[in-house]
Amino acid sequence: MNRLRVLLLKEWRESMRNKMVLFGVIFLPVILVATSVYMITLGDGADDPVGQIILFNTSLMYFLLLPAIIPLAIAVYSIVGEKEQTTLEPLLATPISDLELFLGKALASVIPALVVNWISFGAFLGIIRLLVGSVPLQTLTAPWLASIFGLSPLLALFSVGITMIVSSRASDARAAYQFSSLAILPGIIPLVVYSSSKTLVDLRLIILEGGVLVVACVAVMYFAIRLFRREQILTRWK
Amino acid sequence: MITTQNLTRRFGALTAVDSLDLHVDKGEVFGFLGPNGAGKTTTVRMLAALIAPTSGEATIAGNELGIHNRSIRRRVGVLTETPGLYRRLSAQDNLLFFARLYQIAEPMAQVERYLKLFDLWERRAAPAGSYSKGMRQKLAIARALLHEPEILFLDEPTAGLDPEAAKTVRDLIETLRSDERTIFLCTHNLDEADRLCDRVALFKTRLITTGRPQELREQMYGRRTVVHLANYRAGIENQVDLPFVKHIDVVDERLVVSLDDPEAENPALVKRLVELGADVQFVTELRVSLEDMYLDLMEANDESS
Ligand SMILES: Nc1ncnc2c1ncn2[C@@H]1O[C@H](COP(=O)(O)OP(=O)(O)OP(=O)(O)O)[C@@H](O)[C@H]1O
Ligand SMILES: [Mg+2]
Repeated sequence: MNRLRVLLLKEWRESMRNKMVLFGVIFLPVILVATSVYMITLGDGADDPVGQIILFNTSLMYFLLLPAIIPLAIAVYSIVGEKEQTTLEPLLATPISDLELFLGKALASVIPALVVNWISFGAFLGIIRLLVGSVPLQTLTAPWLASIFGLSPLLALFSVGITMIVSSRASDARAAYQFSSLAILPGIIPLVVYSSSKTLVDLRLIILEGGVLVVACVAVMYFAIRLFRREQILTRWK
Repeated sequence: MITTQNLTRRFGALTAVDSLDLHVDKGEVFGFLGPNGAGKTTTVRMLAALIAPTSGEATIAGNELGIHNRSIRRRVGVLTETPGLYRRLSAQDNLLFFARLYQIAEPMAQVERYLKLFDLWERRAAPAGSYSKGMRQKLAIARALLHEPEILFLDEPTAGLDPEAAKTVRDLIETLRSDERTIFLCTHNLDEADRLCDRVALFKTRLITTGRPQELREQMYGRRTVVHLANYRAGIENQVDLPFVKHIDVVDERLVVSLDDPEAENPALVKRLVELGADVQFVTELRVSLEDMYLDLMEANDESS
């Protein structure tokens, strides 16, 4: 088995046994999907077109919140946990490469975040279909699909990068949580603003947001990778 | 197995390890002794290719440090200062994870072998967080051994353990001693070093001395025989006119006799004392504990620097 896979499986095995992480990965999506479904069914029958638009935009925003928040829950514990348990040194004593370690930690958060997000979206559509009898066409437009399949991975990457940087500096999970949650806001602020706008989400905004995120991800990953060197981890991390 | 030349590591303005020259042979149990902050852990980290030296060179298991680091990591095992286990994972999963990272051929079988060897097999499914301190230490040593390293670094393996757990770990180290494996042992426990190590190094940022514990004693103090007499008569020490006796001290009415070769010379010494009318009760060798020697050497070192 290659080392990256070994590390990923270990991360997930540990996460499964961590209540805080499970809460973020399971409970949060359930609440958000339930709320979205409620809003859409409400909006579907509403007469007020502006009210309807706001409800649709807000529920789309939920599916962009998930990929940003889930990695936070996993990555904080996968890095702070490693520090608290003093397992970094034995881990670094193995022939694992710095890049494998970095990728393992990053993918351990990004993959579940996307899987959970897409399952949630599927569940969302399925439940609505069950309740209303059809899927509202507003949820299958180009901006929606571009957001859910294009922006989500970028948001997840950005969030995981920030969380990894913050966690490498933080000595406990609580502090890491607080600082990283602040840091993911810039990634979703435009969408928050948009969710209260009076027109349906527009593809141009999604593309613009995507472009900004690509640049931000490259920058964040560059710094995160530099932090993930043996020497740095052992001598500089708090 | 381990050779270092001028190995130096600085942290900013602080020099943690200064021009270390060491040579450790294959199959040796080598004790690395020094006070807190001496730079022992820093040295181990450098030798295990975890952090880079600031300057100097080292060859570890035939691989040059800084050039073949990955190969070094494959060949050495490290017991770090804190056991570092994944508390939520079972003992078995902890070991399996590392066995797979080292890409050993049959991870399951190897993990089972070490869990059994270290008497942890029955508790393999329990989370490592539920283990006692001694069990954790054993598990951490098992982890360091899984890939059958040629060199094993043990950073204070018995620190913080109760006497029984410490003995278990020491016995374990004793069983690991083989011609094939080199053990580099950092410890504060001088009695432990005395018992386990073929050679020891005394170290405090710089190397102070190295040698077999017994040789170091003889170098420093020579060899001495203690004679207990039933009735000490003042001045008897001056009447012992034997050419090989270098010096006699009287401590608590006991004679402390310095000589080079007690095995050959003690019988004549006893005979002479009996001739002088002394009633000899016990004849023993004075063994300076490694601890006393360590303290003397450290004191001398601090004075000279
Ligand atoms: N990452 C680091 N940054 C700055 N200084 C460091 C770092 N690591 C070690 N030092 C310093 O280097 C010196 C040697 O530390 P080291 O941990 O190697 O000592 P030690 O012999 O293992 O001590 P102990 O017996 O307490 O474990 C100390 O003064 C320590 O403060
Ligand atoms: Mg130390």
